[in-house]
Amino acid sequence: MWPRRLSGGDAMQEKNISKDNFEQCLKCNLCATVCPMMAANPHYPGPKQAGPDGERYRLKDPKFFDLTLKYCLNCKRCEVACPSGVKVGDIIQKARLAYARQHNPLRDFTLASTDLVGSIAVPFSTIVNPVMASPAVKTLMDSVLSVDKHRSFPKYARNCFTTWMKREAASQQEKFTRFVTYFHGCYVNYNFPSLGQDLVTVMNACNYGVHIPDKERCCGVAMISNGFSAKARRNAMTNLKAFRKTDETILTTSSTCTFTMRDEYENVLGIDTSDVRDRILLATKWLYDKIERGEISLAFKSGYHKKITYHTACHMNKMGWAIYSTELLRMIPGVELTVPGQKCCGIAGTFGFKKENYTYSQKIGQELFDTLKALEPEVVACDCETCKWQIEMSTGLTVMNPISILAEAIDVEATRKLNSR
Amino acid sequence: MKFDVIIIGGGLAGCTAGVALQEAGLRCAIVAEGLSLHECPREKFIELGGTIFPGDRVTGGHIVGRKVKWVETRNLDGTLLEADNFILATGKFFSRGLISNMNEIYEPVFGCDVKYDKNPAKWVSQSFNDSQPFEKFGVITDAVGQVSIQGNTVENLYAAGEILCGERDIVSSALDVAAQIVGR
Repeated sequence: MWPRRLSGGDAMQEKNISKDNFEQCLKCNLCATVCPMMAANPHYPGPKQAGPDGERYRLKDPKFFDLTLKYCLNCKRCEVACPSGVKVGDIIQKARLAYARQHNPLRDFTLASTDLVGSIAVPFSTIVNPVMASPAVKTLMDSVLSVDKHRSFPKYARNCFTTWMKREAASQQEKFTRFVTYFHGCYVNYNFPSLGQDLVTVMNACNYGVHIPDKERCCGVAMISNGFSAKARRNAMTNLKAFRKTDETILTTSSTCTFTMRDEYENVLGIDTSDVRDRILLATKWLYDKIERGEISLAFKSGYHKKITYHTACHMNKMGWAIYSTELLRMIPGVELTVPGQKCCGIAGTFGFKKENYTYSQKIGQELFDTLKALEPEVVACDCETCKWQIEMSTGLTVMNPISILAEAIDVEATRKLNSR
Repeated sequence: MKFDVIIIGGGLAGCTAGVALQEAGLRCAIVAEGLSLHECPREKFIELGGTIFPGDRVTGGHIVGRKVKWVETRNLDGTLLEADNFILATGKFFSRGLISNMNEIYEPVFGCDVKYDKNPAKWVSQSFNDSQPFEKFGVITDAVGQVSIQGNTVENLYAAGEILCGERDIVSSALDVAAQIVGR
């Protein structure tokens, strides 16, 4: 190792006293050139104005808070672009949590309360799914709740992932000697248990047993973006407490859950996560690193073939981890992979479900939709569930999590043999 | 993670070299903190199958003998980036490829040898309209574009673009380095 000197933004930090590096903003406007919302919506002042510039005024008097900050997607593309290390997105998120008033509290609460709504909907999924999909209900929700009628809510599963785990898989897990803890998140639990089952398949084939945290809540991203900071903080504390009870690695299959727990808990909610942060990993990163170190080997089915395009979710781009998912997919013989330049799909979680945002959401995603359609993949691979809903709705293409593609492509028996040494 | 060439810096020089190397069939990755104003070469690089680590920064690495073995980055969190050759294209002061304080000017990633006037009073010319001496400060390279650290040439580390000392054209210096690597 060579001796380290201060580099990049840090080199200017010797005398820095501002939070989120906001004093380091040089007003270069690079963030504005990558902001997807600014390009689609003339009412949004853009990341520089909404973030570090506006912060100067808000510090003097909160009445300078600008309501148009609600348009920020929290995609963090501004932070990726910033050459000075300014936490532009964090500044905007924190300002919203501190000063914004709820515009439509009932709707926002419903959209943000994924655990509450999910646990009510799952037992009645056979009724809830067709009802939510009916045009009459969609129109009603559009006019009463301002949830856009073009949107389809993800279908609820018949059984929660946790129920399946307890009934079908938990006893199997105890045969293993090494374990990971799987933070499944709301989407896998209430809507899409098959992704969780795929993770269990892959992990078990790699000779790892899977535990689930004894108490898990939604990571809280929807609460943060809808202004329910106290609730988000409560969820964070519950999750962190569960993580601290184990020393196993915490794996996730959602880029946004990972990003929220690793970075937003600390940077936006101000919670100290330093003792667990490094243990919270996206399953694809964990797998890639294990494979590279020779600790895990995968055997693939012969004759598997798929033409895949990988879509880099914005939070994946921010974490810089898309490479792990794409490299894993490239390991599969018979996979023809394309990775176009990173573009935002426009949905930004609950943002795109809101009636007032629908047009912006689709306008932002258009470039991505066109790129994906032109590439004509059999499936789009993506680590984010809300990107999945948006791309499936807007392009008609099927979107799969890389873990599900792996589960489909590996030869489970052969992989198990390789890893049972 | 192994690549043929790892380029540090995703501006005009880094992306130009990346495009030339990808076209020559080498597998490249660019660690690009901040954003390049030059979208064309960056898009071309992606189109050619190049890998970009966006918003990421090299935080350390390992030099054995006279060769860089690997570097690690802030985001990749423990994954080592190995390559046969490395290119340093992090630009000058604004992009912080060079750091100046009151006494010295240094290159922060590898600590490469930098050519600059040891007397800080001579860094700037008093008239705003003059060409400024600091504009010509930069990393020292040998005839083939390799840099040195404390006087020792690093055989697989090249520098290209704005970071170089003297008056070198960004694009041609990047293409020269790429040609040098392809020819090896």
